[in-house]
Amino acid sequence: MNIIGPDYLVFGVDDIAACSEYLTAYGLTPVGVDEKGGLFEALDGTGIVVRGKNDPDLPPPLPTATLLRQQVYGVRAAADIEAIATELGRDRKVHKLADGTIETTDDLGFALKFQVTRRRELDMPAEKINAPGAPAQRRPNELGVFDDMPARPRSLSHNVLFVPDLDAAVKFYCDRLGFVVTDELTGAGPFLRPKANDDHHTLFFIRTPDYMKGIEHLAFHMGGPTELMVAGTRFVEAGYESFWGPGRHKFGSNWFWYFNSPLGTHFEYDADMDKHDDEWVARSAALNAENSQMFLFRLRDKWMPGPGPESAE
Amino acid sequence: MRETKAVLLCRIEDLADGAARGVSVDGLACKVIVVRRGERVHAYLDSCPHYRPGTPMAWRTDAYLNGDGTRLACHSHGAQFDIETGECVIGPCLGRSLTRVPLRITGEGGVEAAIDVNREEIA
Repeated sequence: MNIIGPDYLVFGVDDIAACSEYLTAYGLTPVGVDEKGGLFEALDGTGIVVRGKNDPDLPPPLPTATLLRQQVYGVRAAADIEAIATELGRDRKVHKLADGTIETTDDLGFALKFQVTRRRELDMPAEKINAPGAPAQRRPNELGVFDDMPARPRSLSHNVLFVPDLDAAVKFYCDRLGFVVTDELTGAGPFLRPKANDDHHTLFFIRTPDYMKGIEHLAFHMGGPTELMVAGTRFVEAGYESFWGPGRHKFGSNWFWYFNSPLGTHFEYDADMDKHDDEWVARSAALNAENSQMFLFRLRDKWMPGPGPESAE
Repeated sequence: MRETKAVLLCRIEDLADGAARGVSVDGLACKVIVVRRGERVHAYLDSCPHYRPGTPMAWRTDAYLNGDGTRLACHSHGAQFDIETGECVIGPCLGRSLTRVPLRITGEGGVEAAIDVNREEIA
């Protein structure tokens, strides 16, 4: 079961125009989007699908405030879809669609879809830095920042679910779909990566009461911390609401910046996440503010120390 | 003794029927949401009760309502609040309420909030 990670996250919303505006401003590209919604994709083709909440093509909603309707996982090959269909078909309904994808539901009631991944291979440099003692990564005269520098989400990184039954969630994704626990914040839950992805996590669970079941946040990978800072600063300057960050997480080492959204979940920019293999031994730490971040900042209005003293207006 | 000052948040004619806006107030760590339904105006702290000490609720400047404009919403996790009472009706803070800000409509149509001058919120 070579699951790579989420190709798309699908939402049923009540204001498609507001969501379209938001997703475009966040940096995703609308592809064939009309008044019924559509796909907003990152540079590698992964992305967010938005539909009207009463769209008959969507799986039914959860009985909570969440607007998440389906997680679409990308796998390496058709044989992986067959293996998943066989495994999950033992104890639940699995539907095969004409395009070769399959749809089913996990043990918590979240709708799932599996497809041969639609993600395009990216060939782009990571953020390049210069430091004494190491070869310079940028050529002479190559600038680190410039006014209209691109800062676009590259790939759908991960999503985080509020789940009432943590044990059932871990058992389903690990025992049935081959995910691996990379680290755990006790009191919340574990970070999981699928077999065919070496990112620290593509999935994380937070234990909550039943009435909160749904999606807590989702994240897209940026090209580095500078792109994350640039994209987040532009997003705030355009009027969007910062929720948490910028900062850098401890588990996963990824830089983060979270924003409110009209999709009932936070949208995160992330950058520079750790990679792991099967040699890695999962760590465990208590869920608290100290363990959640190495450092945390808050954006302030641009300011500079001039020659001073400033004259009174 | 509680000492309040009247702070002009906006003018009622500047607030379209059904609309909401966030107003910054000196001495308050969060904005005040003002929302109009007909001739009635309600105000609440822009502070979702899901987390202490509360988090901002809009997804964009002044975007505090749910998609069809029938409820106030927190755009962290989609919690929805009754506009008349401030009670959470669905979402992570079910059973909790927004903090109401007392209002007075002046004869000239000003929407004034009564802010406690001896309790400056610094964080």
